[in-house]
Amino acid sequence: MSLLAIFEQALNGMIVSSFYALAALGLAIIFGVLRVVNFAHGEFYMLGGYAYFMALSALGLPPVLGLVVAAAALAIFGALVEWLLIRPVYDGRADRPEEYSIMITFALSILLLNLANSLFGPWPRRPEPLFRGRIEIGELIVSGDRLAAAGVAVILITALLLGLRYTWTGRAVRAVSQNREAAEIFGISVTRVGMLAFAVGAALAGLAGALMGPVFNVVPPMGVIPVIKAYVIVVLGGLGSIPGAIIGAIILGQVESFATILIPDPSRALAYKDAYGLVLLIAILLLRPQGLFGTQDRRA
Amino acid sequence: MTPQRARTLALGVLLAGFAVLPLLLGDYWIYTLTIGFYYAILAASWALLVGYVGRISFAQAAMAGLGGYASALGVQHLGLPPVLGLGLAVLVSGALGLAIGWLTLRLHGAYLGLTTIAFAEILRITATAEYGLTEGSRGLQVAPLLTGGSRTEYYYLLLGVTAGCLVLMGLLLRSRLGLFFQSIREDEDGAASLGVNVTLWKMVAFAISSAFAGLAGGLYGHFVQLITPSMMSLQEMGIVLAMAVIGGFHNVLFAALGGVALQVLLEALRELGEWRLVAFGLVTLLVLRLMPNGIFGAAVATIAARMRRNGGDE
Repeated sequence: MSLLAIFEQALNGMIVSSFYALAALGLAIIFGVLRVVNFAHGEFYMLGGYAYFMALSALGLPPVLGLVVAAAALAIFGALVEWLLIRPVYDGRADRPEEYSIMITFALSILLLNLANSLFGPWPRRPEPLFRGRIEIGELIVSGDRLAAAGVAVILITALLLGLRYTWTGRAVRAVSQNREAAEIFGISVTRVGMLAFAVGAALAGLAGALMGPVFNVVPPMGVIPVIKAYVIVVLGGLGSIPGAIIGAIILGQVESFATILIPDPSRALAYKDAYGLVLLIAILLLRPQGLFGTQDRRA
Repeated sequence: MTPQRARTLALGVLLAGFAVLPLLLGDYWIYTLTIGFYYAILAASWALLVGYVGRISFAQAAMAGLGGYASALGVQHLGLPPVLGLGLAVLVSGALGLAIGWLTLRLHGAYLGLTTIAFAEILRITATAEYGLTEGSRGLQVAPLLTGGSRTEYYYLLLGVTAGCLVLMGLLLRSRLGLFFQSIREDEDGAASLGVNVTLWKMVAFAISSAFAGLAGGLYGHFVQLITPSMMSLQEMGIVLAMAVIGGFHNVLFAALGGVALQVLLEALRELGEWRLVAFGLVTLLVLRLMPNGIFGAAVATIAARMRRNGGDE
C-alpha cells in the first residue's frame, strides 16, 4: 500500500471518527449522569436527520440554521423523554430500575423507528449539505460535504468539552457523574441536571444525524448501525467517560478504515465491515469491562 | 372456589378454547394463530430468562433464527428428517446459549444487553454474508415438517408443542431450579452466600431459554418453509419484547398469551399499515411505565382481589 493510500484511509478514518464521537459523547453524558444506557440513541440520531431535512425543505432555512433547529428539537424531545419515561429509574417508582431503563429505552427505539416509517415513509431523503465541492490537500482529494461536517463536529465537541470544564452547569454535570449524593448535598438539583444531561445527549445525537444525513441519506433505519458503533465506542473508552468516548471513536474509525482494505474479497469484506466493531465490543466486555478509561469499582 | 381450582379451570378453558378455534375460523386465521404460537414460545422463553432470572438478553430472535437455519441446513445437507432437524436446532441454540451464558457471567444489566445485541447482530450479519450456505437475504427454502400437511394439522401440532413447552417451563420453574433462578434475580450475592451455585444456574438459564427459542425458530422454518436473516434483526427482537412485556414478562404463560394476542391483532389491524406497529410501541411503553406485570398480570391480579373480597363477605 502506498503512503498516499495510507494517508487517505487515515483521513477517512478521522472524518468518520468525528461523527462517531459526537453520537458517542451523547451516550457517555447520559450514562455518566443517569447511569442509563440509552438504547434509543440511534433513533434520536435519525430524528435529528429528519429535523434537519424538514427545516431545509419545509421551512426553507439555510443548512447552518437547519443544524440549530435539529439540535433544539432533539434537546426538547430528550428533556420530555427524560421527564416522562426515565425519571422512574431514580426516584424509586420502578421496582427494578436498571431492567426498567433498558426495556423502556429499547421499546422507545422501536416506537420511534416505526413512527418515522409511518410519518416520513421508508424512502431515503437527501437534504442539502453544509458545503458542496471537493477539497484538495496536496494529492489527497476529499469531498467537501464530509470535511465540512467533520469540521463542524470537531468544533461542537470542543465547545462541549470547554462547557463541561469551565461553566457552572458543566461542573454540576461532572459533579453528579462523579458522586450523586455528594453533589446533592452541595445543593445541585440532581433532577434538573439529569434532565439537562438527557437533553444535551439527545441534541448531540440529533446533531450527528443532521451532519450525516446529507452524506449518507436520511431514512428511518439510518440510526441502527451508527448507534451500535457508538455502543462499541463508549464501552471501549469506559461507559460514562468523556475522554474515553473521544479516544474510542478515533480507535474505531481507524480500525474500520484499515480493516476493510486489508480483506481481499471485497463483497464479503463489506458485509462483515460492521461486525469488526461488535467483535471488539465483546472482547472488551469480556477482558476489560471497565473499558480503557472507566473506573474499576463499578460492577459491569 | 379456591384460587388453585380457579386457576386449573381457567387453564382448561383456555386450552379447550384454542382446541375449538380451528372449527370456527377460516384458513387465514388458522395460519395467523399458528404463527402466533411461534411467537408464544419465543416470548415465553425470553420471559423465562428476563422475568425469572433477571438476565436481560436481546439475542432471543437471533437464537430463533439460528435454530431455524440449523434445522433447515441439517435437513438439507445431513439428510436428517425434520423432527431430528428440530432436535439439532435445540442442541445448536442451546449450546450457543450456554456459551454466551458462560462468556457473560460477569456482566449485568446494560452491559449484558449490549453484549447480547453484539452477538445477535454478528449472527445476523453472518447469516446475510455467508450466502453460499444460507442464500443470504434472499432467504432459504426449508423442507416442510408435515409432507402435504394442512393448515389445521400444523395448527394442532404447534398448539401441542406450545402447550408442551409451557408445561415444561412451568414444571422447571416450580422445581428447586425455579427457586434458584428467582434467588439470582433478587440478590445474586445473597443467593451465592446461601450455597446456590450462581455460576452454573446462570449458564443453565441462558442455555434453556435459547434452546426453547431454537425450537421455536426451527418449527417456524419448517412451517413457513422460508427463512431470512431478517427474523434475527433487532426490530424482530423488539416485537418479541413488546409481546412479552404487554402480556406480562414475569409469567411465562402471560408472555405466551401476549405473543398470540399481539400476532392476531397485528393481522387484524393490517389496514392501519405501519401505524399498528406505532400503536404497539406506544402500548409497550405505557405498560412498562404503568403496569409492570403486563395486561394479563394486572387482569389476573384484579380478578383474584375481587374473588378474595367476595370470599370474605360470605
